[in-house]
Amino acid sequence: MLSTELREIYTKMADELIPNAEGMPSASEAKVPTEWIDRALEYRPDLQAGFIRALEFGKSKSPRDAIQSLNADDSEAFDCLGVLTSGAYFLNPEVKKLIGYPGQVPSPANDDIDSYSEMLAQVVERGPVFRPTVK
Amino acid sequence: MSNPVSVNTPGPDIADVLVIGAGASGSVAVSELAKAGIKVVCLEQGQWTPPSEFAGDKPEWELVKQKRWHPNPNVRNHPSDYPIDTTESDVNPLMYNAVGGSTILYAAHWFRFMPSDFQVKTMDGVADDWPFTYEDLLPFYEEMDNAMGVSGLSDDPAYPEGGAFPLPPLPIGKPGIKAAEGMDKLGWHWWPGTNSIASKAIGHRPQCQRYGACLTGCPAGAKASTDITHWPTAIENGAHLITGARVRKVTVDKNGLANGADYVDRDGNERHQKAKVVILAANGVGTPRILLLSKSEQHPNGLSNSSDLVGRRLMMHPYAAVVGTYDDNLESWLGPAGELAHSMQFYETDKSRGFVRGAKWNVMPSGGPLGMRSGYGGRPVDESFGVNFHKNLKKVFGRSFEWGIIAEDLPDEDNRVVLDPKLTDSDGIPAPKLIYKSSENTTKLIDFHVDRAVEAHEASGATSISITKLMRDCGWHLLGTTKMGNDPKDSVVNQWGQSHDVPNLFIIDGSVFPTSSGGNPTSTIMANALRSVRHLVENFKTQVTPSEF
Ligand SMILES: Cc1cc2nc3c(=O)[nH]c(=O)nc-3n(C[C@H](O)[C@H](O)[C@H](O)COP(=O)(O)OP(=O)(O)OC[C@H]3O[C@@H](n4cnc5c(N)ncnc54)[C@H](O)[C@@H]3O)c2cc1C
Repeated sequence: MLSTELREIYTKMADELIPNAEGMPSASEAKVPTEWIDRALEYRPDLQAGFIRALEFGKSKSPRDAIQSLNADDSEAFDCLGVLTSGAYFLNPEVKKLIGYPGQVPSPANDDIDSYSEMLAQVVERGPVFRPTVK
Repeated sequence: MSNPVSVNTPGPDIADVLVIGAGASGSVAVSELAKAGIKVVCLEQGQWTPPSEFAGDKPEWELVKQKRWHPNPNVRNHPSDYPIDTTESDVNPLMYNAVGGSTILYAAHWFRFMPSDFQVKTMDGVADDWPFTYEDLLPFYEEMDNAMGVSGLSDDPAYPEGGAFPLPPLPIGKPGIKAAEGMDKLGWHWWPGTNSIASKAIGHRPQCQRYGACLTGCPAGAKASTDITHWPTAIENGAHLITGARVRKVTVDKNGLANGADYVDRDGNERHQKAKVVILAANGVGTPRILLLSKSEQHPNGLSNSSDLVGRRLMMHPYAAVVGTYDDNLESWLGPAGELAHSMQFYETDKSRGFVRGAKWNVMPSGGPLGMRSGYGGRPVDESFGVNFHKNLKKVFGRSFEWGIIAEDLPDEDNRVVLDPKLTDSDGIPAPKLIYKSSENTTKLIDFHVDRAVEAHEASGATSISITKLMRDCGWHLLGTTKMGNDPKDSVVNQWGQSHDVPNLFIIDGSVFPTSSGGNPTSTIMANALRSVRHLVENFKTQVTPSEF
């Protein structure tokens, strides 16, 4: 569980990484710092230490400076922050909808041979592309 | 579907045959032996993996795949994994240690070697010929296609005429069509993908659900991993499987014949299984590791190592990825992943290119939105984040696919698996270390193929193209470390996988490959295992066995 102080710092850093732009919500608008980051941390406990290390950078700096110096000085912690923040963002079903991603849902494996059979006939016409066994 | 058993069944005191490793090749051996009524015990260090554990149908899939389901055992670090020292290797070896072995995670590209792969020396003047031909292996290939329920389209002009696949091809999807359009313009070979993934329900396996998560285990159970395709029937036929059993060494009698194996169970107990015949199926890293660990008075250089070739000639198929991005929405998160299509246009040697041998190309989808975003530390922040986070996503997500290039690497005795002097697994058993450098021939081969794959994407209308010439995490195929051949001086086993030094020891995994081909090996590993084990079964009555246990 993140302390209130770290969660506040994280909110600012997360919005620096994922701002409101291009018709997409920012990290905080997508409830990353308040909801989804906790889920993401549950799925990836191995990234927790690096994530907390990353937030420490935000204690005495502006979010932008914190992120720039984190990337330069501790790229491993930066990766933890980046993976968890983007991963948490994509957990939000609203975000998935906005990017046109149905998520991990079943989809029937319908045959699509008709859509390429003419092109394939050309491949057959061009003939073999292998060397037969030397007897 | 659920796994048939999760309890270890007590086996016979002395097994007729002991198989080490329950992966692709071990599953074939156990199935054949049990069917023939031979008392078989299998020792497997891993456990069962029920499909319900896989994350491919869950929202957290992309987050957990980078750790829990990572193909690199050094990253995954499960209790069933052993560490591997890769400090002197250009490539990381990838595998999964469980019932079903690496087929739990494999992409299920079901590639058949071409005739020239068995005659590299005769045709191209380098490396070695196999002790048998494509035609000798053909009936076993066909049998394995049926056992694995393979989906594909027959009459591919990359092969001599052969039988049809049991299932029709999977959809090639929008990325497959886009790739085909480019190849069509260039007049190059392409063909819809051949995959050991069910395009229609077959046996207990349902139809593919296109989660695109094949590389992290199929949640639908549509992919042919051998825990599903082989083990249930093998157990019904009387095979004994002991999971959580990590083999420390193969033991020998006073005449130097194999008579069983020492192993450690998951409670840390040292155990021994006696056997009349031992088969190694622990993959191209695990098998030489066990042989090198099995030093004895009779075999001071390691078991079956009078040729000094155990662990040498490691081949891992350096892999290049050329990713094209398109204006159209290709829905490229959809599976199978799996190959959507392949090309063998540049597979065969053309010496005017300045190198020998070639590569299979495969079209792969590009997965979910997070997959594209790992490992950016150190690069300028604004490249991947800020406004560009959204811009890149809109440009790339769902709109890109990969032409993957599997480069044939030729055998080199200096590329090898050795025992690490310091590193051990969780049972204190010395871990393997890999020494592996990609060769000049491979570098030239990759340069040429990458240039052609860029042309292919351009012909398909890509708006941008990115190239990775050698992916470090690409050691999916672990081959060559106990070469098969006719001469005991320059090979470890004969054409039936029988050790030249120890006539009741067999090796049936990809270690025995004299050359690697330029494509995915599992269809050939399993066909070759079937050929070897059939021969053993047919000759079982006259098989040499130890005099003492
Ligand atoms: C991510 C990934 C993707 C792949 N994609 C493809 C593909 O698309 N097409 C293709 O053809 N191939 C693919 N492969 C390769 C394929 O999985 C292997 O070629 C195949 O599984 C090898 O079979 P095997 O029997 O040699 O070894 P494995 O299947 O690796 O099985 C070896 C077994 O031995 C056990 N073992 C090892 N040491 C010990 C010990 N000391 N004691 C007890 N047990 C031991 C292991 O736990 C393991 O279960 C892929 C592999 C990976 C990892």
